[in-house]
Amino acid sequence: MDLSLYAREGEREFVELTRSFVRKSVQPLFGDNAPDGDLGMVPSILDTAFEVGLAASPHSGMPGFEYGIWGTSADNPEGVRLSAILLSVVAEACPGIAMNLHVQGLASRIITSSKGSFPEPPVRVATALQEGHTLPGFRAVLGQGRGSDDGIGTRALPTEKGWAITGTKSFVYSMEKADAFLVFCRIEGRSGKEDTGCLLVPADATGLKLQDIGGRTGIRACRLSHLILKDVEVSSECRFLPADDFPLMGQALCLHWLGISAMAAGNASGALKAAREYAATRYQGGAMIEEHPAVRKLLALSEARVEAAFALLVQTCSFAGGNTDFLRRCAIAKLMTTDWAFSAVTDALQVFGGYGYMEDYCMEKRLRDAIVLKSAAGSRNYLEAFISDAARGEI
Amino acid sequence: MRRENLDFQARVDALRPVNASKHLDFFGKLLMDNREMTIWEHDTRLLPAGARIWRRRAKDFARRYIRPDAARADSRPREYDPRPIISQAARKGFQTLLLALPLGTAFPGSYFLKSASFQVAVVAEEFAVESGGIALLLMAHHLGCAPLILSGHTPTILRHLLPLYARTLKGKPEIMAFAITEPGAGSDVEETEGGAKARLVTTARQVDGGFVINGRKCFISNGALADKVTLFAKLEGEGLESWTCFLIEKGMEGYSIGRQEHKLGQRASDASELILDDVRVPNRNVVGRLRSGWANNRNVLNYSRPVVGAMALGHARGAFESALKFCRNTMLGGKRLIDYQDIQIELADMIVKLWSARALIWHSCSQFRCYQSASAAAKVAASDISFEVCTKALEIMGDHGYLESSGAERLWRDSRLTQIYEGTNQINRLAVIEHQWVEITAGSDDRD
Repeated sequence: MDLSLYAREGEREFVELTRSFVRKSVQPLFGDNAPDGDLGMVPSILDTAFEVGLAASPHSGMPGFEYGIWGTSADNPEGVRLSAILLSVVAEACPGIAMNLHVQGLASRIITSSKGSFPEPPVRVATALQEGHTLPGFRAVLGQGRGSDDGIGTRALPTEKGWAITGTKSFVYSMEKADAFLVFCRIEGRSGKEDTGCLLVPADATGLKLQDIGGRTGIRACRLSHLILKDVEVSSECRFLPADDFPLMGQALCLHWLGISAMAAGNASGALKAAREYAATRYQGGAMIEEHPAVRKLLALSEARVEAAFALLVQTCSFAGGNTDFLRRCAIAKLMTTDWAFSAVTDALQVFGGYGYMEDYCMEKRLRDAIVLKSAAGSRNYLEAFISDAARGEI
Repeated sequence: MRRENLDFQARVDALRPVNASKHLDFFGKLLMDNREMTIWEHDTRLLPAGARIWRRRAKDFARRYIRPDAARADSRPREYDPRPIISQAARKGFQTLLLALPLGTAFPGSYFLKSASFQVAVVAEEFAVESGGIALLLMAHHLGCAPLILSGHTPTILRHLLPLYARTLKGKPEIMAFAITEPGAGSDVEETEGGAKARLVTTARQVDGGFVINGRKCFISNGALADKVTLFAKLEGEGLESWTCFLIEKGMEGYSIGRQEHKLGQRASDASELILDDVRVPNRNVVGRLRSGWANNRNVLNYSRPVVGAMALGHARGAFESALKFCRNTMLGGKRLIDYQDIQIELADMIVKLWSARALIWHSCSQFRCYQSASAAAKVAASDISFEVCTKALEIMGDHGYLESSGAERLWRDSRLTQIYEGTNQINRLAVIEHQWVEITAGSDDRD
C-alpha cells in the first residue's frame, strides 16, 4: 500500500530521509483549522527541502543537485523511479508541497540534461509548457507542429543579443519565489526558419508578468499563474538544446506526467491509509465498520486501484529514456493512474460517511487535490488523442 | 477543391433528417418530430400541467434569485444571510409544496396522481442547477415538514403544519429542519439491521405534561438556522423501537446549537450540531404517536430520496451546462472544442446519463405513495451519475475546470455530498434489496 515498497537496497535511506522531512516539516502544516493548512508555512518548508537535498536544483552547489527529486541522478530508469517514489511519499502528506518539489525538479532536470551555456544557473526554476486550454499536440511536441494550431503560439524573434519573446503561457505551477522560467516557444532563427525550443527567462525580466489565476479547488500549496510575456528580451545564452535527438518538450512532458502520476498515487495511498484507520475505530451497526461488507468493498477497490497505479507507474519508469515510446507510456500512465487514484480517493472518502465531507479528516482536501491532478497537464480527451497519435506513429 | 467542399456540405445538409423528411408523405411528416426544442423543453412538456408550471417557475426563480447569490454563499457562508431568499421563495410558493392547494401550493393533479414529492423534486432540480447550498437551504425545510404530514396524525397537522404554512404563504416563513443523525449513529438510523444495533444517545424522559429530552444530533442541515426541528429520540429505558418524533422550537430552554461543520460544498446551508440539555417539550409537540418515530423516519426517507436525487441531477446539469458553454467558446487548432467528435461523444454520454437519472427520479415519485426501493434506487443512480458527470465536466475543461470561475467546480463539490446524505449510497443499495427481499429471496425461479 506504499510506493516506497518499490525502493531497492541503497534507496531506502532516501525514502527515510523523505519520511523524516514529511514528519518534521510537512505535517505541522495541518496544525490549524484551515482546509489546506497554514499556507504561510510553505516557504519555510521548501527552504528545508532545499537544505536536506530533497528539492533538486540546476545549481551544482545545491545539496539536491544530484539526488533531489528529478535531480541529475534521474538520468536512468532507476533514478527516475526513485524520484517518483520520493514524490509519492511527500504527496501522501500533501500533494501541494509535492507539486512544488516536482516542478522545481522538472525544470532543473531539463536544464541539467540539455546543452546550454547559461553562465550561472538559477536556483529556483519552473517550466512553462502550456498555452490556452491545453498542452501542445503530439506533433508539436516532437517539433512537427504548425504553430498555434498545435498549441504553441508564443514566439521568440531574433534580436541583436538574442531573442524577444511574446506570448502567454498558461497554468504554470511554480515555487513562490521562482528565479526563472523555462519557456517553450517557437524560436525563429536568423535565417528565418522556425523551430520549437526552450528559453530561460529570469523572473525579473522586463515585460514578464505573472497573472494570478484566482480561486481553485486544490493543490493550493503551490503557486499557479499565467505567464504573460511581452517583448521579453533574453540573451542568446538562454537557449537550451537537447543533448540528443529527442526534443526537450518531449522530455519535459515525460517527467511532468510521471510526476503527476506519482503525486496522484501518493495522495490516494494517504487517503486509503486514513480510511483504514478510521474504519478500525468507528463503531456502527454493532461492529467496527471495517467489518461491514459495504466498507470492506470500498476499501478493497480503493486498495486495488492504488496498487494498480503503483504498478503502472513503476513499470513506466523502467522504460525511461529519450524516445517517443516512453513519451507514449508516460501519457498512458498519467491517464490511468490519475483516474485510478481519483476513484481510490473518492471510495476512501465514502468510508468516512458524513465526516469525509467535512474538513476535519482532510479527506475532502484529498479529493480536491485528486481532481486537480486528474485534470491538470492534459485532460482525458487530450491524452486519449495524444496516445492515439503516438500509437499510430504520426511523426 | 472549394467547389467540392460546397457540394459535400450541400449533400450533408440535404441528408440531415430535418431536410430529408420533406420527402415523406403527409402522415410520415406528422409522425416524425423535427421540432427544434431543447431537452429541457421536451421533458417539461411531458409533465402534468401543474408540475409543468412549477418547473418553469423554478427555473425562472433560480436564475433570477439563486444565481446571483450562488458564488458568494459558497465562498463566505458565515456572512451570507439566507433569510431574504427564503422569504422570496416562500412568497412565490416554493416552501409550501408538501400540501396541495388550497392548504399548500402544490397543484392537486400532480399531487394526487403522482406523489407529494413529485413537484418538490421538479423544483429541486432547477434550484440545484444554480447552487447546491441554496437548494439545500430551501429543500431541507420540506424535509423538516415531512414528518408532520407523514405521521398521519391529524392533530399534529392542524396544530403545527397548517399554521406554519399559513404564515409562510404570507411571506413570514418559519424554517424547518429534520434531525435524526447522532455522533455515534449515522447510517444506523437509516437502515433496519443497523438500527437494531444502534447506540443512540438522545433520550426522552416522560414527565408531567410532556417530555424532557437530553442528547445530541449532528450534521443537521439548516440546524442553526431553523426555527423548528422535527427531532427523533428514544424513550428512556428503551431502544430504537421506541423512537418518537418531537417538534423542538428555537428558544426552548436547554436547546442550543453546537459546532457548525466546515463542508466541502453545499455551504450556504449550515450543517450543525444540536445540543439538548434537559429540554422540556410539551405533549402537544409530540409528532404522531409515541414509538411511531422509526416508521415515520423511514417513510420520510422514501419521500425525500427522490428529491435528493433531483438535487444531484441539478448539480450535474449545471456542471454540464458550464462545460457545454466552455466547449462552445474555446478554440483549439482553429476549431471550437464542440466541433471535435470526441468531445461530442463525451457530451452525449453526459446527456444520456442526465436523462436516465431524470427518468428514474420522476418514475420513483410517480405514484401517490413513494416506496423504498424506487426512492433509494433513484437517489443512488442520480447521485452517482451526478458526481460522474460533474467530474467529466471538469475534465473536459482541463485546467480551467478546477478554477472557481469555471462554474462547474462548485457544483462538483456540491454533488459529492449527495452520495453521502439521506443515507450513504451503500445504505441505499441495501434499502433496495430490503424492500424487494421477499421477491429476491423467495421469488419464482421461473424466468417466464
